[in-house]
Parts: sequence; structure tokens; C-alpha cells
Amino acid sequence: MASDPLDRLRVPLIPVDPRPEFADALLYRIEDRNDEIIIQTATVRYFVDDLDRAVAFYCEVLDFEEEMRPSPLFAMLYRGQLRLLLSVPSTHVLADGTVPQSGGWNRISLQVSDLDGTAAVLRELGAPIRNDVTTGVTVKQILVEDPSGNLVELFEPLAGYHERPSRSR
Amino acid sequence: MSTVSVRYIVDDVDASIAFYCTHLGFTEVMHPDPAFAMLSRGDLRFVVVSPVGAEHRGGGSRPMPDGRRQEPGGWNRFMIEVADLDATVETLRRAGVHFRNDIVTGVGGKQILIDDPAGNPVELFEPTRPEARLTKP
Repeated sequence: MASDPLDRLRVPLIPVDPRPEFADALLYRIEDRNDEIIIQTATVRYFVDDLDRAVAFYCEVLDFEEEMRPSPLFAMLYRGQLRLLLSVPSTHVLADGTVPQSGGWNRISLQVSDLDGTAAVLRELGAPIRNDVTTGVTVKQILVEDPSGNLVELFEPLAGYHERPSRSR
Repeated sequence: MSTVSVRYIVDDVDASIAFYCTHLGFTEVMHPDPAFAMLSRGDLRFVVVSPVGAEHRGGGSRPMPDGRRQEPGGWNRFMIEVADLDATVETLRRAGVHFRNDIVTGVGGKQILIDDPAGNPVELFEPTRPEARLTKP
């Protein structure tokens, strides 16, 4: 195929979808800033049936920050080094038709400095608490449910609690 | 408060330690009780526990006050970022690891679900957009 003589006059196309929520990413691409310092995070995905209620719960009750909510089906939240992805089950249906569900017992654990105080606040806010404060070997803990029934564990360290010392990078 | 903690319920803590350390790059931090182990991978602190009785000294996997026992499974999971998902999947399949699905391409990356020996999911993903990487501006 003959080349178009106007090609060399055209501004090069940048292959990124023109979606406003990805403006930052587009800027990085244009400025070739993909080698930003990588801040280590751990990522967890929870399934929620009502994204608005879930975002409100995590941000207002548990101190998460909303990083992006590009659609009514997905949100990305941060709390320190935890990145929490909230997905609506219909977006992750398996090839055989299996639909993911909220709930189960696996959970994130968030450290708090005063568990009894936090539990009291959560009760006042009406957040469902699944058990009473339980004391284990090195932590006290309690299990809170998000509006979709996913568990979040809150814990307060006791004597003998182990935390790996931070290593220099 | 520098690490992120996730707790999974498993039926066999030793099998889980072997699985996560052999296949997914975790390190064993401690295993002080047959029902409890703490593993680590980057900034993720990962606790695997098997269900215990109400009188057990460990508090994390006791039954609820209404008697309900904690169980493995469900769909909530942590994610591990890999540079080459196809190659990783190939390696894991050869090692006999069970997958729940095939590679799926989403908005921010390609992903696939593994089952651990207790039937808990782990998501492997290869980001295809900068903001899906473990990078926060």
C-alpha cells in the first residue's frame, strides 16, 4: 500500500483511551515517566454488591482514601500501603458462568491503637460486628462486616506482638 | 503499622506454607502453632490459620459466639503482580497448581485465579496500564 504523503505531517497518535479518569496515566505516558519510584503496596480485591455503600463504609468508617472510581462497577481505595479494589461481582463472571460472591472468612487485618474505643465507635455507627473482642496470644481482635458482608479484622497488638523490622531499600 | 496484613483460613497450615513458599515466593516468618503461620512477601504479611476450638489460645480462627466455624474459600483475595503472566501460568500449571479460570483481560491488566490447597483464591495479574501497577503517583 502506498504511504500517505501527509503522514509525516501528522502529530503522532498516543495509543491510550481518551478517558478522563486516566488523564494521569496519559500524562505519564506522554512524559515517559513510567520509571517513577515504585512504592510497594499490597493489593486485595473484595466483591461488593453496592459500590457506593462500600466506598462510603471503607472511607468514612475505616479511614480509606478513594483513589479512583472510574465506573459504577469498580473503585480503588488506599489505606497506607494497602490498595483495596472493590469490584461488583458481575464484572468477574467466570467462563463457566460462575459469579463471584461477597463474604467468606478470608480478610484484611487493620491495626488500630485502641480496639475497645474503635469497636465502640463502630457500634455507634451501626457497623455489624460479628463477634466480641477476642484476645489471642499477641493481639486482641474483632471482626466487622462491610455492607456486603465481607469481613474486616481489626486488631490491637499486645505484649509479645511481632512486627518484622523495616528494612532499608 | 508499615505492613499490610491478610488472614486466610486453611484446613492444613503445613500444606499452605509449602504452597505459598514453593510456588508464590513467600517466606515463612513464624510457625509457632500447628494452627498458625505467618508468611511474608514484600509488604504483605500473610497469616494462614486453621479453624480452632473456642478454648484455643490463638484468637483469630475461633468459632463465632453463635457457633459458626470459620472456613476456607470465597472470592475475596489478595493479588500478586507478575511481569509475564503467560510464563507464570505456564510454570504453575506444570507444577500442578489448580486454576479457577483462564487468563482474563480486564481494563487495567490481565489476570487469572489460582486455588491454594484449601480452595482459597489468589489473583495473579499483569498490569497493562501504568495506574494498575503497584505505583502510586
